[in-house]
Amino acid sequence: MSRRLLSLHGLAVLLFLYLPIAVIVVLSFNSSKYGVAWHGFTLDWYVRLLSHSRLHGYVANSLIVAFSSTAIATVVGTLLALGLSRYRFGGRGAVLFLLYVPVVIPDVVMGVSLLLLFAWAQNYLRGLHLGLGTVIIAHATFQIAYVTLVVKSRLAGLDPSLEEAAADLGATSWRRFWAVTFPLVWPGIAAAALLAFTLSLDDFVITFFTAGPGATTLPIYIYSSVKRGVTPEIHAVSTLMIAVTTLALIGVQRISRRR
Amino acid sequence: MSRASWKRLLATVFPGTAWLLLFTLLPTLLILYASFLQRDPHGWLSGPLTLANYARFLGLGPDGFDPLYLRILGRSFLLGAVTTFFVVLLGYPFAFFIARSRHKNLLLLLVVLPFWTNFLIRVYAWIVIFQRKGVLNALLDNLGLQPLHLYPSWTAVYVGAVYTYLPFLILPLYASVEKIDWTLLEAAYDLGAGRVRGFWHAVFPQTLPGLVAGVLLVFIPALGTFVISDLLGGGKAILIGNVIQQQFGGSRDWAFGSAATFVLMAIVLGGLWLYARRAGERGMEELV
Amino acid sequence: MKKPVVLAALALLSLTLARGELRIFNWSEYIPEEVLQEFEQRYDVRIIYDTFEAPEAMMAKLQGGGYREYDLVVPPDYYVAELARSGLIRPLDHSRIPNLTNLYPEFQNPDYDPDNAHSVPYQWGTTGIAYRQSEVPGGVDSWAVFFDPEAYKGPFILLDEMRETIGAALKYLGYSLNDTDPAHLEEAGKLLIDAKKRSLGFADSVGARSRLLAGDAAVVHNYSGDIFAVQEEDDDIVYVIPKEGGTIWVDALAIPSQAPHPDLAYEFINFVLEPRVAATISNYNYYASPVQAAEPYLDAELLNNPAVYPTPAVRARLEFIHDLGEATVLYDRIWTEVKAR
Repeated sequence: MSRRLLSLHGLAVLLFLYLPIAVIVVLSFNSSKYGVAWHGFTLDWYVRLLSHSRLHGYVANSLIVAFSSTAIATVVGTLLALGLSRYRFGGRGAVLFLLYVPVVIPDVVMGVSLLLLFAWAQNYLRGLHLGLGTVIIAHATFQIAYVTLVVKSRLAGLDPSLEEAAADLGATSWRRFWAVTFPLVWPGIAAAALLAFTLSLDDFVITFFTAGPGATTLPIYIYSSVKRGVTPEIHAVSTLMIAVTTLALIGVQRISRRR
Repeated sequence: MSRASWKRLLATVFPGTAWLLLFTLLPTLLILYASFLQRDPHGWLSGPLTLANYARFLGLGPDGFDPLYLRILGRSFLLGAVTTFFVVLLGYPFAFFIARSRHKNLLLLLVVLPFWTNFLIRVYAWIVIFQRKGVLNALLDNLGLQPLHLYPSWTAVYVGAVYTYLPFLILPLYASVEKIDWTLLEAAYDLGAGRVRGFWHAVFPQTLPGLVAGVLLVFIPALGTFVISDLLGGGKAILIGNVIQQQFGGSRDWAFGSAATFVLMAIVLGGLWLYARRAGERGMEELV
Repeated sequence: MKKPVVLAALALLSLTLARGELRIFNWSEYIPEEVLQEFEQRYDVRIIYDTFEAPEAMMAKLQGGGYREYDLVVPPDYYVAELARSGLIRPLDHSRIPNLTNLYPEFQNPDYDPDNAHSVPYQWGTTGIAYRQSEVPGGVDSWAVFFDPEAYKGPFILLDEMRETIGAALKYLGYSLNDTDPAHLEEAGKLLIDAKKRSLGFADSVGARSRLLAGDAAVVHNYSGDIFAVQEEDDDIVYVIPKEGGTIWVDALAIPSQAPHPDLAYEFINFVLEPRVAATISNYNYYASPVQAAEPYLDAELLNNPAVYPTPAVRARLEFIHDLGEATVLYDRIWTEVKAR
């Protein structure tokens, strides 16, 4: 393919990818409440966000869920990855297949089946409530799958002779893990945790079905706001989210480059 | 295996496996069970067991064959296929664009940023663009052209879907494109192949693992989407995801909803199983 | 590295849980933030406020476990009997709601809930058609604007509420909106499927009025108060009750059967029946208040607005939506059809 054509195509795709984002960012500074005609620059909508106390609650919910579920998933997933990569056991294939189910299945299927599980479980576990807890469990479920797969592939890339050498030198398996394996694999674990964290913050569909009272997260709030009518305040929230994501991405790139 | 080994195996594998069994397998079984139940007049799930939900899904009713839900399923497959087609059309050359560029890292960053941006924002942006007094019509108006009524519409849904899922193809595809051994192409030229034949036989097969993974990562979510059709279709674009969401929402028919869910689940998992058999463990790893 | 964060989050959570908590499930944009804050301060509680935009979604959330999660819910009148029958809301102990005497006499023993056994009236209003005068030169006076392809060819949005929308079709056909004749409902269903094709789709009341304001649609099916709120911003918008008739409804407060904090719920109901509080609510959302004692505090223009407090002539054209018991399933089926096609 001619180089010029490829570059033109590339530029076109980039424009396509960024046009909607640009529209939102620009409109968040538009002083008109309706329509897209430019009425003047304003920071009003951002100022309003500061006094919108319920919104702060939703952001807090999103963060609480993301941190909690990522913590659970990173520990459980890393352990599972270790076990799967080292040991051949009966049923390993089945566990591997099961791992891919949360990754591949459409969100709506997962959300609905978890809702059914929680509703059914309430018959037997009187104390079970739909709330932040159920959202955390739901998020951790798909996160465990991602974490396990990412860490497992990182482990597969390791040189087994290093561990063997440590074993020959008499290190216990615990020591072997911490002294040899972990330092080599922890970038993979960090990457997996970061991926899990982002997936949780971004999730809408699964949270939509498993959230209870007071468990409204930021994406849920955005969805119901969009259905009620997009306001410039939502544009402001969105722009802030985009800004945070951009900074985080640049940060991650810088850190990984330094390694 | 030694006793210590067994303990270690259990310690590492048990928590994750138990979690997956409890929160992935068990819900699936519950959906299957619920799909054979019925909806009582108050909207609760109740027995006796029945095949009525599946019959209804397949269109076998007392008034003859009415393939409403099969048509919706078909429409969902169509959306998945067309979306995937356009995503590949846009994304395949783009992966090469990145690979041949001097600013690989920057370009990758530019692709990943929309991918990490909340997808609701990326969908509702198209409402702002396509609505009656939106960006597109403002532009057309300035050019003296007639306005387009694209919101709500199937066009908007398709554009939204392609836009949302484009990064999902580019990333795994790029992973393959990055590793291409270009010497094979050189060899093909040496053997007298033209540019097209050379590409098709020497380069394309090397991109297959990433391409197939990317296609799966686009097709399946597109198949099961309900947000894109809900927001950009104004409640008129009904896909299988919308049917499921309605049954567990306003329609309060969890039994029928479970049947529809199980059909979708079976199709997707069936496809996954076939893929796993053909591609093996290596192929599966491309998906993540 | 993650452990301290989780601990901190849990600590924060438990701190907030130490305060009393009241969980309310209400229509969106129905109560002003200042009223919620006043209650929070007076009783030193934290209010968790979740909203819904359509009663069917409310029913779904309640049934899916909401009846043990929420302390208060605000269903429309025609769902109160159904909620009581299904055991989702509890009978009310009137001795704990002394302010019930503040209500107008006709709200002390309403048809939809005799003696207010399970609910307390919150706001009432009507449902009709809202349109932009400049885009519909002949004006609108009939449901034909949605159902007769010849009557109006411009952009319109249908309301995402089962009984209201099917009811509108029934009224256009000349039937009662509480009709249970399957043949009539079939007719209404066909009309709706056709209307849907020509429409810009379904939306809830707030979404529809936003799009009316933004210029997306020129005619929408909407609630009275929602439109009056909009008229403050844009006087090109008009609200009308069609000649075939519309609905008059009451939204009521109820306490779910397994509410975690019923004591606070009773306090809140009593609070909302206080004259000043009731007036603040109505002045905010432009709906009519069932609290007689609130009259002195209501905005004069609200009290004198015949659209908010209908004249007897208009009142005669309005019908209450009734709970239809088992026959509701007929409506469910038609609605699912209309939504899916």
